[in-house]
Amino acid sequence: MFEWLEYSILSIWVGESLWGYPIMLSFHVVGLAIVVGVFSVYNFRVLGLFESLEFVAFVDFFKLAWFGLILNTSSGFALFSSQATIFITNIPFLVKISAISLGSILAFLIQSRLRVHANDWDSGVNRPTSKDFWFARTSIFLWASAIFGGRLIAYYF
Amino acid sequence: MIEILVQSLEGSTLNIWILSTAWFWPSLEIFHFIGLSLLLGSMLIIDIRLAGFVRQMNIMATHRLLPLAGVGFFINLTTGMLFLIGDPARYAVNIGFQIKMLLIIIAGLNALWFAVKISPILIDWDPYGDTPSAAKISAYVSLSAWFGILLLGRLIPYVGTG
Repeated sequence: MFEWLEYSILSIWVGESLWGYPIMLSFHVVGLAIVVGVFSVYNFRVLGLFESLEFVAFVDFFKLAWFGLILNTSSGFALFSSQATIFITNIPFLVKISAISLGSILAFLIQSRLRVHANDWDSGVNRPTSKDFWFARTSIFLWASAIFGGRLIAYYF
Repeated sequence: MIEILVQSLEGSTLNIWILSTAWFWPSLEIFHFIGLSLLLGSMLIIDIRLAGFVRQMNIMATHRLLPLAGVGFFINLTTGMLFLIGDPARYAVNIGFQIKMLLIIIAGLNALWFAVKISPILIDWDPYGDTPSAAKISAYVSLSAWFGILLLGRLIPYVGTG
């Protein structure tokens, strides 16, 4: 299946054209900055930093983060397809993909809690609980792990 | 000037140590990417609000994110300088790197202009309302510069020498 993917029109363009790979890498790094940037700021906010920032505003910023994630999934798939058989056995790549999958599921759970509680948290009716703190710390760990794995892919062939 | 810089860095103790320590370069890359996420994430939120969007957020509160942007910038300045010391001949003559440095200066001047001219007048505006056009211009200049810096950094291996 991965061999077939390497011979698709997309993967040949990404792998063999002059600008295919760098264009996809550019989309990938823009997406990374948006996703990890927005989720990190939110997680720090939950953990008690930047206390005057309203939680309700992050409902909009999460939409931007999901856009970043779509950008990353699409460009990442294009990059993956160009060397699918190599990536799929690369340990740092597998660490990265696992961290992103878990990080995305967790981001969805974090967003669900934000949507329910944002107004109460902002008005001081109640505060984020230990569950939210645990989600925030795990989310920071998973996005950092995704960067860790991603940066090491090129070094462990 | 660039040649003198390259010559003075090549063969220096730090240059030799960086090149001979296998784990150091990938570690620098990891920290450079973590730094860029903190910097770009904070600037994205600050500038989007400054451009007049997401008005549920108090515009004065977004200033609280500046230390986080500062931490990200400091991480990337440090790791970036170590990249340059580790492989000066690769970076100093690279057109992508040179334009990236120019954009960092533009982003810095824009931040200075914001601090001196725009930040003082923001106090008179509704913290949950629209922003003056000077603030919007500063926000778009900042976003363009930082995302330009991000893209040029990523393209350094693919563009030629200047």
